[in-house]
Amino acid sequence: MPSEAIDPTAVQWQRVSPKYLRLRQLSWGIETVITLLVTGLPLVLRLTGIWPGYPAWLAWGLPVFFAVTLLWRGLLLPRQVRAIGYAERHEDLLLRRGIFFQRTLVVPYGRMQYVDVAVGPLERAFGLCTLKLHTAAPGTNAGLAGLPAEEGARLREHLSARGEAQLAGL
Amino acid sequence: MTAGAAREQGEEPGTGGLDPVEQKEPEWKRVHPVSPLVRGWLALAALAYVAGRNQAESWFAGDGMDLPTGSALFWSVLALGIALLVVAGAFFLSWWFTRYQLSSDSIRVHSGVVVRRQRQARLDRVQAIDIVQPLLARIFGLAELRFEVADAGESAVHLAFLRLPEAHRLRARILEDASGAEAAPDDAARSPGHSGDSGGDAVPGEREVLALSAGRVIASVLLSGTTLLLLLAVAGVAVLTAVTGEAASIAAMVPIIFGFGSAYWGLFSSGFNFRASVSREGIRIRSGLLDTRAQTVPPGRIQALAIRQSPLWRITGWYSISVNVAGYGAGSSSESSARTRLLPAGTPEEVLRMLALVLPDPGTSDPVTTFTAGMSGTGTDAGFTVSPRRALWRSPLAWRRSGFLVTDTALLARRGYFRRSLEVIPHSRTQSLALEQGPLQRWQRLADLVLHSTPGPVSPRVVEMDADTARALLDEQALRARTARRRDLPEQWLRPAGGPQPAPDEPAPAVPSHTVPSHTVSEPAESASAAPVSQEELPHDHR
Repeated sequence: MPSEAIDPTAVQWQRVSPKYLRLRQLSWGIETVITLLVTGLPLVLRLTGIWPGYPAWLAWGLPVFFAVTLLWRGLLLPRQVRAIGYAERHEDLLLRRGIFFQRTLVVPYGRMQYVDVAVGPLERAFGLCTLKLHTAAPGTNAGLAGLPAEEGARLREHLSARGEAQLAGL
Repeated sequence: MTAGAAREQGEEPGTGGLDPVEQKEPEWKRVHPVSPLVRGWLALAALAYVAGRNQAESWFAGDGMDLPTGSALFWSVLALGIALLVVAGAFFLSWWFTRYQLSSDSIRVHSGVVVRRQRQARLDRVQAIDIVQPLLARIFGLAELRFEVADAGESAVHLAFLRLPEAHRLRARILEDASGAEAAPDDAARSPGHSGDSGGDAVPGEREVLALSAGRVIASVLLSGTTLLLLLAVAGVAVLTAVTGEAASIAAMVPIIFGFGSAYWGLFSSGFNFRASVSREGIRIRSGLLDTRAQTVPPGRIQALAIRQSPLWRITGWYSISVNVAGYGAGSSSESSARTRLLPAGTPEEVLRMLALVLPDPGTSDPVTTFTAGMSGTGTDAGFTVSPRRALWRSPLAWRRSGFLVTDTALLARRGYFRRSLEVIPHSRTQSLALEQGPLQRWQRLADLVLHSTPGPVSPRVVEMDADTARALLDEQALRARTARRRDLPEQWLRPAGGPQPAPDEPAPAVPSHTVPSHTVSEPAESASAAPVSQEELPHDHR
């Protein structure tokens, strides 16, 4: 993965599973279909003459607006997923994400209060999981989605062990 | 039905409470019997109001003023009596089933009538202890004790209400045990000293550091940001009147007036009679006009602090200090903002005096210069690193103030031109940190460094830094956060075995004298190897 301007130097980023992109695209597809159905319904009603009173600009504008937004988001997805990275350093975990609004996060192992691993139905189908680190600060917000299940389990064990070894209270 | 369910359950705790035969077990105590009344007076008043109003209305609805007679009177009195009985019963049950026990390492509370709750909190996990006296409780000589741990929700242990001396005694015992002090020879003498003198203000071993006059509080409230808002509102109304040509109706003004009034009143009453003192139990802050509070924050429990100045305060040169304490959380109510205020309004000298308490080791050789530059300075004086010139158009006024300074023990983040603020977060209290960069910032090679602290009014952020500087800072700061924690104060701050004794025992309030010894303490080989601590080594390529 190319190093971005705000990434610490000499960090070997690990990427999340490529399957995560497919998962994101699948959920994006579902979202697109539902949104377009809902926003396109009045247009269909208007065109078929059932609801002629519905203003034309709204009937066309709404679906087009959502279609453009969703298309844009869909185009961004591969890059967004590629921008997610993590690196286990000796004493802290690095997480990065974002293309336009980038964020590089450092969580010292000793500051972790607990580690969550969550698996949703879609994720289970893809064999993925979401890992979340919690420190005493709500701002940490260190979620890492799209890990392969066994990598997630390994990371969880690893992080817990490191956290315990360096436990530092609050 | 409720009573029946309660009685069934009542047997078990009843017997449990009634055999204090085992002398080893510390005794279970109950809160003061009047407590539910004091806590529930609002509900009672509401009930009385509704009942009374209904009655009165039904009386007056009839022709003239005939009072109910015969059966009508009987039934209404009966209903009232039953209602009172039910309320009294509920009060009694809730009182009876709330018990607490203080052992040498933990405090337990059992409560609840139908749903029983047993709670236990470790004493050395205490983040703060508040003794709060709402007005009514004050009249009865009662006080509420709040024991805060770091879950940032509601208080872990919440004893309402105790007699004030009892609350003081409890607080002293908790802090004594929580500090992990081995029964020092003077301990035996101390505890009774606390209890005996608890009615008064001064507790032995406590030294007052700061007291604000009523005039100061009033003036600070009048010059606060609320006034700016008020001026804006008045201007808005004036413009509206001028445009529409008709005077704004009084009715529309009432909520505005009421809102501002309550905002002013909240600031004033919570800041009134503000006094800060220090003892080996930590910092103690007392304040309040009608409702009073005495907060105790043990050493090392302050996670981050912000020194702020609202625009109008520049006339008088005052600053306020807010702190993050893990137990206090991030509520936005006026009460929680009052709890997290370490100094409502103080001169720079007073700010420095308070800083010396919370930050006994600022990690610079000249804290006065450093913090003064942080509070009111601009540019690179005192060693601050500021935004590069190219940040000018993003924040034309503030860019020379946006900056940071790293000392041996803390990071100072300065920003704001109209609303000056200086955020201080000790390295040992940094939970995690992040670099953030938006698209425009990327184009300009700027970045923000965000430091994550526990929930509270302070969220430190170094803004608009040169990207390379920020990246270097992230690396160094992560390192410092790790290493600093290792030589930090132990959780039981007076435990003889661990680390160096904290300062509060030997009172040395003046900032410079405080810091000279600690500076030498805090540069072991570890830190020298760990991080290039001085800012001189950070890139200054933006100049």
